[in-house]
Amino acid sequence: MEKSKKKAREPWSQNDKIFLGILIPVLLLFFCFNTLPLIKGFYYGLTNFRGYGSYDFVGLRNFIDLFSDVRVGKSYLFTFKYAIVMTILVNLISLILALGLNRNIKGKNALRGIYFVPNILGGLVVGYIFSFVFTYILPAVGDMTGIGFLQNSMLASTKTAWIAIVIVGAWQGIAMNTIIYISGLQTVPEEVYEACMLDGASGWKKFSKITFPLIMPFFTINLVLCMKNALMVFDQIMSLTKGGPSQSTESISYLIYKNGMDGGQFGFQSANAFVFFIVIVVISFLQMKFLGGKEEQL
Amino acid sequence: MTKKRRCTAIFLVVATTMSLLFSGCSNKKNKDGKVVIELVQYKPEAVDVFEALEEKFNATHDDIELVIDSPNDAMTILKTRFIREDNPDIIGIGGDINYSNFLDAEMLMDVSDFDGLSDIKENYLSTNKDLEYVPMDGVYAVPYMANAAGILYNRDMFEEHNWSIPTTWDEFLQLCEDIEAEGIQPLYFGFKDTWTCLAPWNAIAVNLCPSDIAYQVNSGNAKFSDVYEEVAVKERVLLDYAQPNPVAYGYNDACTAFARGESAMYVIGSYAISQIKSVNPDMNIDSFVFPASNNADENILNSGNDLMFCIMEDCEYKEEAYEVLRFLLEDENVQFYLDDQSAVPCKKGDFTLASELDGMNDYIVNGIVADYQDHHYPSEMSVDAMIQTYLLDNSSNALDTFLARFDKEWERYNRDIIAKVQEYQEKEE
Repeated sequence: MEKSKKKAREPWSQNDKIFLGILIPVLLLFFCFNTLPLIKGFYYGLTNFRGYGSYDFVGLRNFIDLFSDVRVGKSYLFTFKYAIVMTILVNLISLILALGLNRNIKGKNALRGIYFVPNILGGLVVGYIFSFVFTYILPAVGDMTGIGFLQNSMLASTKTAWIAIVIVGAWQGIAMNTIIYISGLQTVPEEVYEACMLDGASGWKKFSKITFPLIMPFFTINLVLCMKNALMVFDQIMSLTKGGPSQSTESISYLIYKNGMDGGQFGFQSANAFVFFIVIVVISFLQMKFLGGKEEQL
Repeated sequence: MTKKRRCTAIFLVVATTMSLLFSGCSNKKNKDGKVVIELVQYKPEAVDVFEALEEKFNATHDDIELVIDSPNDAMTILKTRFIREDNPDIIGIGGDINYSNFLDAEMLMDVSDFDGLSDIKENYLSTNKDLEYVPMDGVYAVPYMANAAGILYNRDMFEEHNWSIPTTWDEFLQLCEDIEAEGIQPLYFGFKDTWTCLAPWNAIAVNLCPSDIAYQVNSGNAKFSDVYEEVAVKERVLLDYAQPNPVAYGYNDACTAFARGESAMYVIGSYAISQIKSVNPDMNIDSFVFPASNNADENILNSGNDLMFCIMEDCEYKEEAYEVLRFLLEDENVQFYLDDQSAVPCKKGDFTLASELDGMNDYIVNGIVADYQDHHYPSEMSVDAMIQTYLLDNSSNALDTFLARFDKEWERYNRDIIAKVQEYQEKEE
């Protein structure tokens, strides 16, 4: 934006050239691996392409079908339910964890390390381990203790399967958000706390009036990241339920992969992916705009 | 000068990126000048067999190098390669909807001039004809191995309790009652892996429904809800004799449970035998045809092409590819495969079948077989998940909901094919 203020036609300075030299390859890469696939996806969305061989153009039929397809509708509902619950749960727990880990407690650094471990593990590995826990260990515990709702595998019922996925997703997702909150808490200067102590604020008031407003930018970024990750949920579904039972846990990404690659709906699912991309962009944009306005600067 | 240099720089960047995108095209000869034939087959459980065959082939052929790939989830990998237009020469796939789609997309070569075709059993060749959306000229696949689905049972357990093999539906239910009375679990299901819901479904449907029902429906002459009602009812009855909460367990769990003697029978195909034996190598397994009908003579063995070879349309070395197929079809190599995989050969001749298939032998030898119904279902329609949904649905109108949904979704997912079939028929008239 700065450049437009300069007079037009002025030759590029040495600095500009360096910036351009850095920018252009990145821009090209971004175009090749992001924009081009998007345009191609839209193009395939207009066809009945199976992913291979010959195909015909079908106009906007795929896009119209998207809005009447029960399975796509259900997958959107599930994904949003999952994303909203995940975002609330993950942010709440990781904020509490971060507040705790930011105190001067013994073994603080070791604890921070341990809480971060789930994030390093691959989603599929974690999923398969939890799948075993849900199928065999929890029901065994349920049988031993006589707790009724544990006796059946959580993954086998349409009512509880999504909760199991939330548990696994949250277990993994909390780590990253906690780290971001901790770094946020460390940007709040000591003086502010001292000042508020002099004013007699403590406890909840201190948190809600001082700490939280000051880490608002981190809250925004966490909310956007968490929401985006949850909307794209895939690994957990793949390893825990494969969209079952009764197709009750099919997320949008899973459906796109499953029917686009495995089934012969490459064209239709390309249309789905294109629409989904727009939905995510809109949501992220709204979140940034809404929350960005509430950020405080010292 | 600077402008020129800038242009060159931009050109170089673009060229590098483009070459990154379009790499992957390579000619198919190796450095010794041998023709490389690449075969991708979709049965990862047979990887050892194919590795041995590959070695044997390369040791005996000087001018061809055979490369066999047996990846996990091969269908997805194959389709991804097709999207990249990086096709292998030969693909080893099952006779299912994917074959219909590849054929419809004009990906496969007509191999009707292949001399080995005369050695293949006719019923397996005609099974492939049924998979064509609209009848086509030519032969596009060489059936290699078939599988057979029905009920596997624990032979030792049956002998110990003197249970006999049922030939009608009523006898089968009685047998389940008898087994249960002895305190043994009659059946075990792994319905968490939705595709296993199709194993009983296919085995029952093959007895009760016409084999060309999909074509009939696509032509507008029949409805699935009319023929599938009995199938759906009978599959639900099976749940009464299975472990509680069968959707909690997957295919591996079910195979393991059956191998450990936790159930007396397992409704699945012969393809599960190697998996079961990997848990319990000494297990004495036998099988019988699913007696879905109350008239014993009506029972048909559920058997379809489990592995067949197709040559891709763009393969440059047809003769060399034929040579590979001839090699694979040599009696010795077919028997080698059979011994390892408990499969059913599609080639005519005297082969020793695995003892696990004793109970189905008559049907195999006499050709009383029909293809899996699900080979005609589009995979994106997820009939397996629909059946799972139906089995989990405890409301009183579950059956009607399921059948109505089946009819409706069939039309939705087969729109292009129905149009194609009806256009073809109008042309014929």
